[in-house]
Amino acid sequence: MLSAIVKPLIAALLLAGPAAAHGAFVDMGTTEAVAIQARYDTGALMAGAQVSVFAPDNPAQPWLTGMTDADGRFVFVPGDRAGQWAVQVRQAGHGAMGYVTVGTDGAAITVTASRTGLSWAQRLLMVASVVWGCIGTALYFRRLRPAEPA
Amino acid sequence: MHIPDGILPLGLSLGGWAIAAGLTALSLNRIAAQPDPRAGLPRAAMMTAAFFAASLIHIPVPPSSVHLVLPGLMGAMLGWYALPAILIGLAFQAVMFGHGGLTTLGVNAVILGLPALAAFGLTRNLGHVTQRAAAAIVGFATGAGAVLLAVALFAAILLAGLPAHLDAGAERAAITALALAHLPLALAEGMVVVAVLGFLRRTSPEMIVAR
Repeated sequence: MLSAIVKPLIAALLLAGPAAAHGAFVDMGTTEAVAIQARYDTGALMAGAQVSVFAPDNPAQPWLTGMTDADGRFVFVPGDRAGQWAVQVRQAGHGAMGYVTVGTDGAAITVTASRTGLSWAQRLLMVASVVWGCIGTALYFRRLRPAEPA
Repeated sequence: MHIPDGILPLGLSLGGWAIAAGLTALSLNRIAAQPDPRAGLPRAAMMTAAFFAASLIHIPVPPSSVHLVLPGLMGAMLGWYALPAILIGLAFQAVMFGHGGLTTLGVNAVILGLPALAAFGLTRNLGHVTQRAAAAIVGFATGAGAVLLAVALFAAILLAGLPAHLDAGAERAAITALALAHLPLALAEGMVVVAVLGFLRRTSPEMIVAR
């Protein structure tokens, strides 16, 4: 009586195969990842910007694409191909590149960030220099004009 | 509104350079044909300084910020001198601040140079109106129209050069948001042109006779 119920059950379980497995396991470990944060030169965060990661052997097709979060952050684990990985972040025609070098052992990662911002003092001095050059040019060509009759 | 290096495909960058070179040659040709080509240089130098420094003045337009670009003022004040002045200003911005880039200098010169030349054409044909209200409307249309034209060129070039691997929908939305953020800028630059031309009209009217 009992075996009449159990036998078809066992048969059904055997036929059902892996789908009948309800146990699951997660393998976990730590790895070295690259974390980026993208900002505009005004200091504003580049939220929702598109990130393209290019492997060293293919600069034309991205190896990985993604999007920065609300804080302009994006984290990825480069593959084991040694060489210089390029990371481009772009949004509405603005963007920048950063580079990550992966060593031959796959573990050594060195990061070359894109150009860092200038301080306000540096900007001010650069603007002042250029403006002064323009004023000098203007005054020079003013002097060259023939003197107007009094 | 300065496209940096590495955003556009090579063909668009080269095309931008070719068109910018053609426009610059035309401008220099027209300048050389003037009775005294040096006469406009002091003003061109001063406007180059203003153009160079203006891009560092950010106006917060939530959620982003925009900066002054001044193509309308350049065209209205400089005439044929506008394009060389813009090219020099853009080169300085690219090298010093990383606004734009050297490979995209041509494209950026076209984005701002064509609106400047359009503004020049508008002021040359309509800048002689003497009625104050009419002059203000022309000035405003010059400044605001030039910004809108520049934004339209910027968006069109970006969309034309969008690589296939990007999420086109997200990028289109971002470009649209940026274009909308420039509407207040268009109003501001329209008022800048009205103010500058109005000031010159009162103090030294001979200076606004565009060549």
